[in-house]
Amino acid sequence: MFARIRTRLAIHYAGLFALALSLVAVALYVVVTTTAERQVRDELVASSTVFDRLLELRTRELGNAAGLLSRDFGFRAAVATGDPGTALSALDNLKARLGLRTAFIVGMDGSVTGLADPRLRADARSLWAALDAGRTSGIVRLGGVPHHVVAAPIMAPTLVGWVVFANDLGPAQMRRLEQLSAIPINARVLLRGRGEAWSSEGATAGFVAARIGDNAPARLDDPSGTAIALVKPLGALGDDNAALLLRYPLALAMAPYLPLQIAMALTALLGLVLVVFGSWRLSLTLTRPISALEQAAQRMEEGETVAVTVATRDEIGRLAQSFNRMAAGIAEREKRITQLAFNDSLTGLPNRAFFRQHLDLELKQAERRGGRALALLCVDLDNFKAVNDTLGHPAGDELLRAVAARLGANVGDAMVARLGGDEFTIILSHRDAHEAAGAIAGRLIAALAEPFEVNGHELTAGASVGIAMAPGDAADADTLLKHADLALYQAKDEGGGTYRFFEAEMNARAQARHQLEADLRRAIGHGEFELYFQPLFDLETNRIGSFEALIRWNHPSRGLVAPDEFIPLAEETGLIVPIGAWVIQEACRQAVKWPEDVRVAVNVSSVQFRRPGLANVLIQALAASGLDPRRLEVEITESIFLESSEALIAVLHSLRAMGIRIALDDFGTGYSSLSYLQSFPFDKIKIDRSFIQQLLSRAGSTAIVRAITDLARALGMETTAEGVENPEQLAELRLHGCSSVQGYLFSRPVNAAGVAEALATANPERDVA
Amino acid sequence: MRALVLALAAVAAAPAAAGDLAVQVRTANGAGVPNAVVTLYPRGRPAALPAARPAYQIAQRDLQFSPFVLVVPVGGEVSFPNFDDVRHHVYSFSPVRRFELRLYAREQTRSVRFDRPGIVPLGCNIHDNMIAFIDVVDTGFAARTDAAGRANFTAIPGGPVLVRVWHPWLRAPANQLELRAEVPDNGRVAQAVPVNLRPPPRPSRSY
Repeated sequence: MFARIRTRLAIHYAGLFALALSLVAVALYVVVTTTAERQVRDELVASSTVFDRLLELRTRELGNAAGLLSRDFGFRAAVATGDPGTALSALDNLKARLGLRTAFIVGMDGSVTGLADPRLRADARSLWAALDAGRTSGIVRLGGVPHHVVAAPIMAPTLVGWVVFANDLGPAQMRRLEQLSAIPINARVLLRGRGEAWSSEGATAGFVAARIGDNAPARLDDPSGTAIALVKPLGALGDDNAALLLRYPLALAMAPYLPLQIAMALTALLGLVLVVFGSWRLSLTLTRPISALEQAAQRMEEGETVAVTVATRDEIGRLAQSFNRMAAGIAEREKRITQLAFNDSLTGLPNRAFFRQHLDLELKQAERRGGRALALLCVDLDNFKAVNDTLGHPAGDELLRAVAARLGANVGDAMVARLGGDEFTIILSHRDAHEAAGAIAGRLIAALAEPFEVNGHELTAGASVGIAMAPGDAADADTLLKHADLALYQAKDEGGGTYRFFEAEMNARAQARHQLEADLRRAIGHGEFELYFQPLFDLETNRIGSFEALIRWNHPSRGLVAPDEFIPLAEETGLIVPIGAWVIQEACRQAVKWPEDVRVAVNVSSVQFRRPGLANVLIQALAASGLDPRRLEVEITESIFLESSEALIAVLHSLRAMGIRIALDDFGTGYSSLSYLQSFPFDKIKIDRSFIQQLLSRAGSTAIVRAITDLARALGMETTAEGVENPEQLAELRLHGCSSVQGYLFSRPVNAAGVAEALATANPERDVA
Repeated sequence: MRALVLALAAVAAAPAAAGDLAVQVRTANGAGVPNAVVTLYPRGRPAALPAARPAYQIAQRDLQFSPFVLVVPVGGEVSFPNFDDVRHHVYSFSPVRRFELRLYAREQTRSVRFDRPGIVPLGCNIHDNMIAFIDVVDTGFAARTDAAGRANFTAIPGGPVLVRVWHPWLRAPANQLELRAEVPDNGRVAQAVPVNLRPPPRPSRSY
């Protein structure tokens, strides 16, 4: 109902007080009016009695006078003998003596003597009947004014008339009666003729008609106000009815109590003001702490940590204490929740969500401060996967914790976050962020290059760092993070253990890669790939023994794209799987058209080996083409052994079991290890072209090639030399007992149509056959 | 005392055809009204007055007039003897005969002659309760009713007769009423006269 307790309290208290006062006032009013009314009623009754007595007294007085006059012999003689002059003089004499206004004689024949006014005479004549009936006193209307009339018969000696004395009961006379009363009563004599009302004023007329005869005071509401009134019937002489109306205005009766009522009203008003003021003050002291609590609750709602001052020890004070405890509890819980939500549980560092928030905030602040640069460092461990694979995840986790600690110790007050895996970020806000970022990156790489002690193992994590600057490199968090990642890839690409700042070209390269990737996806569907075949020349039979299938990409806009340009990307993106499958199918499809002693070799990426389904692809390709599995050769590189596993060896064995030949490609480069040769009985070893090209120019190369061919022969494996370009090299290889050669010396790769031509040239008897 | 019927003209001239009339004045409830004066006017004309003039008297005795009503023919003289120990002041304001007998004492007699017909109320200026009436009549047939309200007339010429009844308290103009009767040529006829009386005034009212 009311928005504020203060208002409500004030209004309720004021209302209650006003109610109480009203009750007192009503009680007082009732008592006062009752008392006043009773007083007035008593006085009215008394006054009416007084009036009666006065009237009676006057009647007797006048009657005596009239009686005396009527018996005066001279007067009688005058009346009886028709001597009006004498009679009137006698009448006047008595009038003067008694102080009468009106006196006259009514004769037996109804004649009136002694009244000059014709109206009065007419009224007087109407008295005859009453006088003749023997009545001698009463109220009569004479000239419209009520009169008290007393008559005496004139006996001479028989009745010859009446002498009549009249005393008017008009206002002036009534005033005198009123003055006899203790209270200022208003007295009136009313006359009612036949068929008339008691008064021209309706209320009064009704009142008199209703109340006449009961002789008890009652309330009368007339136009002049409420009054207590008493009606008393008066004996009338003549046809009229007469009544005495005593009236006392209630307002006058209440007048003596006016000071009391005013005092009461003033007291009430003062009391009301005091109550309103007091309850306002009281509610203020009550609601001030409540308001403080309310405001605190609002601030708390908005996320502030609040506490209210506890001023009192009452319920509100205790409420404030409880509130403070609650607020503290909420703040504590909120902190914990925030920690859970924004912190990485493994390292205790801020997590990705927190990092993103913080980065947004820092970017905004940097923007606001204008120009102050921000550096984002992306840190990635170089050897984490190896640790995880070799020592298990618990060791990996332990390493991550140690790395986190070491990072924290080397970045000062910059924020370190872990985004996931072995990926860490550092946000650096510094006046010279570029320089500082470089310094910190260098320091971090050095620190992480130091060995870690994990579960008794000594590990070297090594790290690469990519750095992007805001707002120089990017203004928004997403782009900044992407750019730092690109810089990180660059560092990784360059072998790791280093840091790189983001450069615009990285972005361009990345975009080119993106484009290439999109083109690759399209190329698979659109059949933009084509297989070329390079013959492998068998040195023992001097014939072409097999062709190596090489993929070519006929890009619609760029023309022919070299495998070096797209194969790494295909491997990275996994697109190598469908592309490799196509190569296998296409190679089988082509090879089945060739002479049966000519094999086909396809390169299979380590990525293909890692994905399940390679065997199925091979089986399906063989089945679809009808090619003898022994005519299919799979070339793998040493790199697959970097991630070697039992499963890989098992796959190789299953292929071998199907009859497919397995060749080890590019032998002698990278991390070539003799143990590879032991781990699987390859059908063939392909000697890397780098040895062949240096065969004649570098002394060691010859020895290496001889060693490889000797080793292969000893292990029962064939050897193929790649990149043979001149006859000297061929001669040398023959000398060393190499099984077959491949290179421009014999043939560049040719398309499917060129295969037949090559075969026709190299293996002529077959062609004839 | 002398309140019996006076047959004033019976002897003088008894016409050949004459009847008797018995009048009774009575109230509505049949009570006879005494002290009423009944006068007869055969054929509307007054009968001749008797030649003899007896002495008429209204005495004052025991503070009262006696008789209360006296019938006197025109020209009759009435004496007012005082038998009381106090004086009386007898007066009359009647236009018929105005007179005043001032303060005369016991055994004094004053006489007054009445020459005009009419009612003469008598009062005493000293004693308001004293009142009497003299009816001065101009016809020979006049009588005062007895205690039973009766007045009997004899030898009235047959034919229509005007009967006039007067009483001091009779409720009628001039306290009298008239009626017509038929007197047979021979025999007697009764005539009842119902009247309505006022209550007698009580002049001794005091205020």
